[in-house]
Amino acid sequence: MSAIPTYTEQELVSLLKNRDNKAFGYLYDHYSGALYSIILQILSDTELANDVLQDVFVNIWRKIESYDSTKGRLFTWMLNIARNASIDTLRSKTYQNDRKNQSMDNQGEEPLVALVTQVNVDNIGFRKVLAQLRDEQRLLIDLAYFKGYTHEEIAEMENLPLGTVKTRIRSALIQLRGFLK
Amino acid sequence: MNIKEYISSGIVQSYVLDQADAAERAEFEKLSAQYPELVAERKAFEEALEKFALQNAVVPPRQVKDGFLEAIQNPSINQSKVITMEQHSNAPVRKNSGLRFMAAASVVLLLACGWFAYRFYNQATELKASNSDLQTRLDSAENTLNKIVDEQKLIKDPNVTVVNMVGSTAAPQSSANVFWDTASASVFLMVKNMPKLPSDQQYQLWALIGGQPKSLGVFDSLQNNVVLRMDNTKKADAFAITIEKKGGTKSPTLEKMQSSGRTKAPL
Repeated sequence: MSAIPTYTEQELVSLLKNRDNKAFGYLYDHYSGALYSIILQILSDTELANDVLQDVFVNIWRKIESYDSTKGRLFTWMLNIARNASIDTLRSKTYQNDRKNQSMDNQGEEPLVALVTQVNVDNIGFRKVLAQLRDEQRLLIDLAYFKGYTHEEIAEMENLPLGTVKTRIRSALIQLRGFLK
Repeated sequence: MNIKEYISSGIVQSYVLDQADAAERAEFEKLSAQYPELVAERKAFEEALEKFALQNAVVPPRQVKDGFLEAIQNPSINQSKVITMEQHSNAPVRKNSGLRFMAAASVVLLLACGWFAYRFYNQATELKASNSDLQTRLDSAENTLNKIVDEQKLIKDPNVTVVNMVGSTAAPQSSANVFWDTASASVFLMVKNMPKLPSDQQYQLWALIGGQPKSLGVFDSLQNNVVLRMDNTKKADAFAITIEKKGGTKSPTLEKMQSSGRTKAPL
């Protein structure tokens, strides 16, 4: 994104909390692409991602009062809203059913229109960075960050001690810090 | 607490990327209040994360922005979005919007059905009422028509003699017609103008045969132009109407004769 910020973060947050629609327009222009990217990395479906992105921004508009700048930057807060909304959608029954139907319909048949909206997310955003991790770390980050499982759930699923799961994830996150620098 | 060690444990990334559990978060926030370097490290990572995310942005389709702006400018749409987000753990938003549309559509449909049912019920009730009203009016019109047809038959029948009763000196206004069917001996009386009588009195029709009166029955002064069937008589030189006490008498009170008419024109 080449948008040049015209507000400091503090000014922007103050305007947003006053429900300034211009500020929300700026917020959208500046951050929608970054949030859309994370949503796509979780959902891999542009149509669903469009709907989730719109709801994420409406939710940001609604919940801006509860944003606490002492706990983190505005983008971090929005990123977590986008990630949680995407994971909720990913886990919803309807999404799961869609997936099941697609894979059944797909056996030996021509590709469905729905598949056209699928995107290859391996080469965008954090996924690209994750490619640099070791397989075992990448798997855990995928389950924890992109699929939203708790560390306890992952330990059970992967038949690993909880301590091992935590250590591997921490270690992966430290490496991530290095990649982003 | 060795804060350097703590910072390099990956807790900062864990906290920012929502991978820390509640206890870890509480500890992180508590320590952040004490150690500015921890906050500085968090901010540095957040900025790097944001920069990276902005560099790797994927431009969403234009309609998403339009939908968002419309939602925050239109409170009603916004309201429905609020509901969606609060129960977002169960169904994807796209499906919800379809469901929501279906739900809204079915409510609208139900209301429309109710409205039509109400309309049709009212219309049916109105039609029933007007139908029965029309039936009543038709019956009454048929009765009137039948009477008119009967009267016409009576008047045009060659066997029927029409006797025009003219008012006597006692009642110059009184007038009536007697239709006498000489073949069947039937006598019909059409009142044209007979004054209303006290309730203890009635008019009585007489046939005069060879100077002797014969009662043909009593009648009230009903509305004009009504044909009354009276008693039969095979013979009559003249007809006369008198006022008598209710129920009639055997011999007419001639001084109270209202009108009379001869069956044949005087020679």
